[in-house]
Amino acid sequence: MISYIIRRTLMAIPLLFGITILSFAIVQAAPGGPTSMMMDPTMKPSDREKFEEKYGLNDPVHIQYIKWLGNMVKGDFGDSLIKRGTPVSELIMNRLPNTLILMIASTILAAVIAIPFGIYSAMRPYTKADNAITITSFLGVATPNFWFGLLLIMFLSVKLGWFPTGGVATLNADFSIWDRLHHLILPAIVLATADMAALTRYTRSSMLEVLHQDYIRTAKSKGFKEKRVVLKHGLRNGLIPIITIFGLMLPSFIGGAAITEKVFAWPGIGQLFIDSAFQRDYPVIMALTVVSAVFVVIGNLLADILYAIFDPRIEY
Amino acid sequence: MTALLELRNLKTHFKRDKIDIPAVDGVDLTINKGETVALVGESGSGKSITSLSIMRLIPSPPGKIVDGAILFNGNDLVNLTEDDMCKIRGNDISMIFQEPMTSLNPVLTVGEQIIEVLMYHQKLSRAASINKAVEMLEMVGFSRAKALINEYPHRLSGGMRQRVMIAIAMSCNPKLLIADEPTTALDVTIQAQILDLMKELSVKYDTSILIITHDLGVVSEVADKVVVMYCGQVVEEALVDDLFDEPLHPYTIGLMGSIPSLEGETDRLQSIEGTVPPPEHFPIGCRFAPRCPHAFDRCRAEAPKLVEVAGRRKVRCFLHSDKEATV
Repeated sequence: MISYIIRRTLMAIPLLFGITILSFAIVQAAPGGPTSMMMDPTMKPSDREKFEEKYGLNDPVHIQYIKWLGNMVKGDFGDSLIKRGTPVSELIMNRLPNTLILMIASTILAAVIAIPFGIYSAMRPYTKADNAITITSFLGVATPNFWFGLLLIMFLSVKLGWFPTGGVATLNADFSIWDRLHHLILPAIVLATADMAALTRYTRSSMLEVLHQDYIRTAKSKGFKEKRVVLKHGLRNGLIPIITIFGLMLPSFIGGAAITEKVFAWPGIGQLFIDSAFQRDYPVIMALTVVSAVFVVIGNLLADILYAIFDPRIEY
Repeated sequence: MTALLELRNLKTHFKRDKIDIPAVDGVDLTINKGETVALVGESGSGKSITSLSIMRLIPSPPGKIVDGAILFNGNDLVNLTEDDMCKIRGNDISMIFQEPMTSLNPVLTVGEQIIEVLMYHQKLSRAASINKAVEMLEMVGFSRAKALINEYPHRLSGGMRQRVMIAIAMSCNPKLLIADEPTTALDVTIQAQILDLMKELSVKYDTSILIITHDLGVVSEVADKVVVMYCGQVVEEALVDDLFDEPLHPYTIGLMGSIPSLEGETDRLQSIEGTVPPPEHFPIGCRFAPRCPHAFDRCRAEAPKLVEVAGRRKVRCFLHSDKEATV
């Protein structure tokens, strides 16, 4: 098992390498550059050239890439071109914890709500309760994140004043867990909604299939009550495909988080991603690409490991 | 001999597109203590539904026991609550199935699947259950039972899995073992071993067996009594020797004619013309009449009743009931 994990991690290295080449090329191919985006339009062309010279923006693309790669391997992502002098790693490390907290909270929320509802749906298929759950899930999948977020802000924050409208904590207040949680609730709900809905559907169909298997009939013939049949004999089998979906969902939280973070003014890396893309802040974009690629790889690896733990038929 | 299980006029219907389909249509059946009864019939004759009805494991909806009684030790299982039924399943009545390859849970160890039954019904401690599980596995013929406890089912062959199923089924020392085509999915040499094992255990533990099969070879090997089903009804019931000496119902005769024999010269195996009609197209009179070589007008107009013949066997056929009536 450990050798498998090591092998898989090593295999991820060329993959990440490929991802950096592609994203570097795509970012460079985008029209405009940091100078045209951020510089004063009245700036003299000679000054602009001096600036470009200083940051190596005049070099051929492959030279730029090799320089960047060389630094990246050493753990140096360079400085932000826009917020001059701030190391990219510092920018990211300031924001990554916020995104991780939001991701973890919404993942747990999605799983805790979706899996029981999915199981219940599968136990009583085609009943009123199942139909209600199904319709609600479709609504959840179909609702755009930003719209749902704005709606919650409008009613729960602005009209009723139950929740803050955004941010991670009350400004200028002392640190308190309750304050943090209070700020976390709405964005976590919004981020969880779509995945919760999808996860309910996946759990339902997976469990529905499992509950028709012969070994479920065997479990019933042993005299176990329905709850035990479903939870002990059904769930472990039904969760196996869900694990894969979880592994794939994990990195998608970062992408989905960008919009939610924007709506709730949540200072996470999603928001940083959007801002730096607009400003052609190459070092930040590249660093974030690497970070999210790493998340994708970790998500997949985690899914494979959990797979092996849950399904004894899988051998390495 | 006292009756352990008695089915009286059991009717299990399925609803499909608002139509009532009588999958089991008035079955009477008695199993005595220590007796092995074979339930025989083609696919679709209702034999598996009969067995699932006894276990009260008919998927509902669409299936439902609509009439009749299932007397087990004098108690009617039809009226038991689900909770009370759970105490009987796996404990007093247990069941093994046709597909050993898929009947065991792939993510639980073999040991766990036996242990859980013992802890649940016999209230044994985990340690005691493990000992008992090893004992059960040894009894069904595993030599390295201790190691097997921690194996997962996918490492075992079909025959071995069916042995594990038998070990699970017998672990609480049931009074009745229902075996639904237990050897159909196995190859012939393994079939014989499994049947021998079941026979041996039934004698050792005085367990009655209801074996469901369409294989008359299996019947002759294990059964004391044979019940032949056709279209949801019992058409003939007889002791195994009587049935093989002289089958009475034309359907049974047809089944016998379709077994290959080692003796004598046979050109071709006989087959019964036609197929089992689906329940929604059952004929009005005798359900076998359209396929029966001896059918006459009355067979097509009137349904025959199951009548006793020669004092110890029953048959549902005018050829024989008339004879009895006139004698």
